[in-house]
Amino acid sequence: MELFVERLLAGLTNGSVYALLALALVVVYRATGTLNFAQGELALFTTFVAWWLTTLDAPVWIAIVAALIVGFVLGAAIERLLIRPVQRKNDMAVLIVALGLFTGLNSLAGLLWNSETKIMPSPFPNGLEDYVSVGGARLYGDALGVWGALIVLVVLMTLLFRRTRIGLHMRAVAANPESAALAGVRTSRILMIGWGLSGAIGALAGVLVTPLAPEQLGLTTMFHIFIAASAAALFGGLDSLQGAVVGGITIGVLEAMLSGYVSFIGGELQQTSALLIIVAILFIRPNGLFGTARTVRV
Amino acid sequence: MSLLEVTDLTAGYGGRDVLHGISMTVEKGDVVVVLGANGAGKTTTMRALAGLIGRRGSVTVDGRPLGRRPDEIVRQGISLVPQGRGTLDISVLDNLRVGAAVRKDQKGIAADIDRWCEVFPVLARRAHQKAGTLSGGEQQMLAVARALMSRPTLLLCDEPSLGLAPIVVQELFATLAEINRTDGTALLIVEQNAELAMDIANTVYLLEVGTIAAEGPVERFREDDTVRGAYLGY
Repeated sequence: MELFVERLLAGLTNGSVYALLALALVVVYRATGTLNFAQGELALFTTFVAWWLTTLDAPVWIAIVAALIVGFVLGAAIERLLIRPVQRKNDMAVLIVALGLFTGLNSLAGLLWNSETKIMPSPFPNGLEDYVSVGGARLYGDALGVWGALIVLVVLMTLLFRRTRIGLHMRAVAANPESAALAGVRTSRILMIGWGLSGAIGALAGVLVTPLAPEQLGLTTMFHIFIAASAAALFGGLDSLQGAVVGGITIGVLEAMLSGYVSFIGGELQQTSALLIIVAILFIRPNGLFGTARTVRV
Repeated sequence: MSLLEVTDLTAGYGGRDVLHGISMTVEKGDVVVVLGANGAGKTTTMRALAGLIGRRGSVTVDGRPLGRRPDEIVRQGISLVPQGRGTLDISVLDNLRVGAAVRKDQKGIAADIDRWCEVFPVLARRAHQKAGTLSGGEQQMLAVARALMSRPTLLLCDEPSLGLAPIVVQELFATLAEINRTDGTALLIVEQNAELAMDIANTVYLLEVGTIAAEGPVERFREDDTVRGAYLGY
C-alpha cells in the first residue's frame, strides 16, 4: 500500500510537470495550429537563465520571475521575427523553424553555460525533513509546490480565456484568424501574446521541474519531459486546456505504475510503454479526449 | 466629401489581377449594390476593400486613405460581412463581443448587444450556444450583428442571400434597409439576387470581368432591358 501511494504521488508530480508544459503547447497550438517543437528547449533555456541568476546570488524567487519574463519576451520575439515571416508562405515552414529552434536553443545554452550538469535550487522547502506523510508515503514540499503551481496556472488561464478581452480575442483568433481580423481583432498582436504566454508557462515548468528531475539541469533534461508533454497535449486533443491537464497527469501516473509494477518494463521501457498506451487510445479517439473534431468541407 | 471614394482599384490573387482598375463612390447613408455574374470580381472587390488581400489604386474614407490591415479598416468605420458568413465557432454572445474589438465603451457595447438581440431575437435565444450550431440563416443574422457591433459607417455585405431560404433573405434585406434608415449606416452590397438588392438600393454598379460596365441610379437599371435580361430574369 505504502509503495502504491509513493508511486501514485511520484506519478502525479511528474504528470503535473508534463501538464504544465502541455498547457504551453496548447496555447501555441490554439493560436498557430502547430505543435511548437521548440517548447521544451525554450523552457530549458529560460531555466538556465534562472540558474545563472542564482549563481549571481539572486534569490530563487526573483530568478524564477526573471525566467518567466525572459520566457515571455523570447516566445513573443520568436513569433514576431521567425514564425510570422514564414507562416505567411507555408505552414510546413513553421515546423521547420521550430525544429531549428529546438537544436539552436539547446546549443546556445551549451555554448553559454557549458554542458556540465547544474543544480537549480528549488523555490519550495525540499530538505530531507520537509515532507508530509500520506498513507505512509512521503510527500515532499517541492512536489506539493508543483501541484500548486499547476492548479494556480489552470485557474489563471481559465480566467484569462473566459473573463478577459485578450482571452476572448485569443479564442477568436484560434477559431478563425480571418474572421477575427474582420471583426477588428489585431491578430498579429494576439499571436505574439500567445507565443509569449506559452514561453512564460514553459519557463515555469522548467524552473519547477529541474530541482525534481533525476538529471537535474543539463542539456538533455527537457527531452523526455517534452515528449511526454506533447503526448499529453495530443492525448487531451491539442486544443483543450483541461485535456492537457488530464493528459499530463494520466501519462505521469501510467509511467510510474507501469515501471513500478510490470517488472520487464522497469526504468528502461518506462517512457515507451506509456506512449504506446496513448497511441492505442488515439486509435479509438483520433481527436484526443477533449479535442474538437475538425470538419473539413471538400 | 464622399464616404468611400474608390479610384482605379486593382487587386487579385497570386499575382493575377481579377479587378482591372474599378472606380466607385459611396456617399454617406447610401445603399449601393454591385451586380455581376460569377467571376466578375464582386468578392475580390469586397476582400480588397476589407484589407484581406493587397490592392493598388486609391481608396479614401472621408478623404483619408483606407488602411491596409483589416483591423485598421474596421477602426475607420468599415465592416465586412464576408461571403459564407465567417462566424466564429465560439458562443453567440462571444461573437458579438468580438465584434466590438475596436471599441472601449463598455456600457455602449452592452447596450448594442441588447439592441441586436432585440432586432434578431434568435441571437438572444441562442446567446450561449456555439455559433456552429446555428442554422445558415441564424448565422447570417449573427454575422451581420457582429459586423454592426463595431458601429460602422459603411457595412460591406458579400452575397448575404447565399444559401438562405427566400423568406429569410426577405427578412434580412428588410432589416438591412431598416438599419440604413434609422442609423444612416451606408451599405455596399454585392449580390446575385439582384431583385431584392435593388429594392433597397439607390445606386447600382454593374461589374463585368473586373471592370465597371455600367453605373447609375437604380431606376435606370430597372428599365434597362439588357440588365433585366441578364440579372433580373424577366
